[in-house]
Amino acid sequence: MSVFDYILAGIAAVFAGPEIAFLGLELPATPLMVLFGFLLGIMVGATPGLAAPMAMAVALPLLISSFGFNPDALLPVMGFLIGVMKGGTLGGSVPAILFNTPGTPDAYMTSLDGHPMAQAGQSGRALRIAHFSSASGDTFSDIVLILCAPFLAVMVEMYLDLPEKTALLLLSLAFIAAVIGGSMGKGLISTGLGLLAAYVGTGEDFYPRLSFGTQELSQGFPITTAVLGVLILGEVFKGLEDEWQRRGTEGKRTDISATGRQRLSRADLSRIAPFIARSAFIGTAIGALPGVGSTLAATLGYTVGRNRHRQRSPDRTPFGQGAPEGIAATEAANSSVSGANLIPVLSLGIPGNAAAVFLILAAESIGGFNPGPSVFRFTEEPNPELIIAFGLFTAMMMANLLNWSIGGVFMRATGVMIRIPRHILLPCVLLLTLTAIYVQETRMAAIWMAVGFGLLGYFMRRIGMSPLPFVIAFILGAKLEETARQAFAATGGNPFFLFSSATSVVLMAAMVATVFFSIRRTRP
Amino acid sequence: MTSRAHLILGLVALALAVLAAFLWIPLDTDSGLLETVRRRVSIGDALAPTIAAAFIGLGGFSLILFEGSEGDSVVPSRENMFRIFALTGIVVLAILIMRWAGPVTLGAEEYRLLRATPPWSWLGFLIGGALLVTALVAGIERRLSFRAVFVGVGWSIALILLFDLPFEDLLLPPNGDV
Repeated sequence: MSVFDYILAGIAAVFAGPEIAFLGLELPATPLMVLFGFLLGIMVGATPGLAAPMAMAVALPLLISSFGFNPDALLPVMGFLIGVMKGGTLGGSVPAILFNTPGTPDAYMTSLDGHPMAQAGQSGRALRIAHFSSASGDTFSDIVLILCAPFLAVMVEMYLDLPEKTALLLLSLAFIAAVIGGSMGKGLISTGLGLLAAYVGTGEDFYPRLSFGTQELSQGFPITTAVLGVLILGEVFKGLEDEWQRRGTEGKRTDISATGRQRLSRADLSRIAPFIARSAFIGTAIGALPGVGSTLAATLGYTVGRNRHRQRSPDRTPFGQGAPEGIAATEAANSSVSGANLIPVLSLGIPGNAAAVFLILAAESIGGFNPGPSVFRFTEEPNPELIIAFGLFTAMMMANLLNWSIGGVFMRATGVMIRIPRHILLPCVLLLTLTAIYVQETRMAAIWMAVGFGLLGYFMRRIGMSPLPFVIAFILGAKLEETARQAFAATGGNPFFLFSSATSVVLMAAMVATVFFSIRRTRP
Repeated sequence: MTSRAHLILGLVALALAVLAAFLWIPLDTDSGLLETVRRRVSIGDALAPTIAAAFIGLGGFSLILFEGSEGDSVVPSRENMFRIFALTGIVVLAILIMRWAGPVTLGAEEYRLLRATPPWSWLGFLIGGALLVTALVAGIERRLSFRAVFVGVGWSIALILLFDLPFEDLLLPPNGDV
């Protein structure tokens, strides 16, 4: 099959999969699931205290139960998750603009200019700017993903053998440890804990290692308990503790009323376009690096935009006081991370953020699709994984179309979500997450483990340690060991297999340099 | 951030790494770092966890030696510890009630027979789930309100409707264990 045939097959797979009865019609499931996921994502993003990964985590068992454990389920399930991921980024700006309460951390910068605009009676215009910028950044990032991921994957398969792949995994872990959270030490500890947890109850010997001889640990920690525990329950526990301290009192919110013109004019668009373009480049470049999140992209996009604005337009409203350019710079940057974050997932099998973790989790749970360089094998015989990959690209473009068409209208209608009190929302999320874990694992031990991981996640957050390196290391742990074992065997038991080729030496040197420079950066 | 917080975290990480590398991993794995089977050397089960411990130890070193007064970490306060243990206590109690409400009410054998038959199959989840949500909301508000009970019971019923009714193959807690 040619590349063009694969693209067509991917598009066809989206429409040819399972069907759902909707409004009396039998419709292809994947486009509908993208739509449902997108709408849910906007609602979740617009609700402070909730985040897209939470919705993805809870939806996963329901989706798998609905569509089953077969390759036909991959596109509807992953389409839904992609929809949630994209909707979540868009929805985060709503409470940031209307109530000065960012729904997601990366929407914080949006509130700096969005809320002053809303206070000045320009809430509709601010939301429209956020939507336009977010959709532009997202679309740009997806196009880069579609063009770059296959190319990068082919290069990896062509030039990297087992020792180099092992070195690349080590470099990725070191890089993630270095860049997330701003402290090399804490990043390394978080990564080490994730690896250690991944190795409990596994191994090649008859005795399941590190299990203390217990039945419960001999099966290892289920991936859902570790990931949902540390990521979701940890966040819920911290939120509950904060609310406990505040006694659940909500800050007083003033209702915003809109006055004057709210629609975007052509002049508005030409005014914000350069900021969107600049931030989309920044966000995409940052998003392509594993582990670097949208918060950094938003901060950088905003900072670069502010400097440019100060130099070029000193007479206009400055950033931080209700500048439309500020919203555009932030939203384009944080939204362009989501597509680019899938570049390391699809080309290297390395998750770059929490949302990507759940896409990998879905693929692993359902089977038939192993994200990584081997997906992009353009063979004469149809490669089902490659067709799925192009199906995913199609689903992403569908989500973009939804974003451009109905995203803005739906986003502006979700301002009501802020009114749900956080101290009522969090216990509900806790019960929902525990239930989602149980229905996947069907044993109480999984719930206890999840609570334990939740406490670990709580303490990590409390001491300022990011839990994301833990989660990524937990997911990559088995792959790292397997690749190292194979590389060791393939090089005839060479203990220096990580330095057996120029490429692997370069990758290992890059790893050492990453650690060294990160320590230097944080050194007082 | 105080340097004390980094020092404590670094020392805890170092201690954990040393314990794992020199005690836990050697005592709790069957093979060493490398093993020889039929004169062929391969990677043993202890190597990967030892590398994990090395990551933790290196992180601890980095915190102590290079990041002494940087960063934003804090040692959890006594109030933090009290609140999180109180919250955990509520969660643990609610899960225990969820687990045992059915078997205690109906008897273990009887409940096992009815664990897939509504409404009996919902007994533990409804009581434990409602208690979890209600107790947490009431704890945060420092009073038991009708709203807290309504949210607890209502949300548990909503989850039953979401997970149990439409899916025959999904089991609510604790019905896979009893």
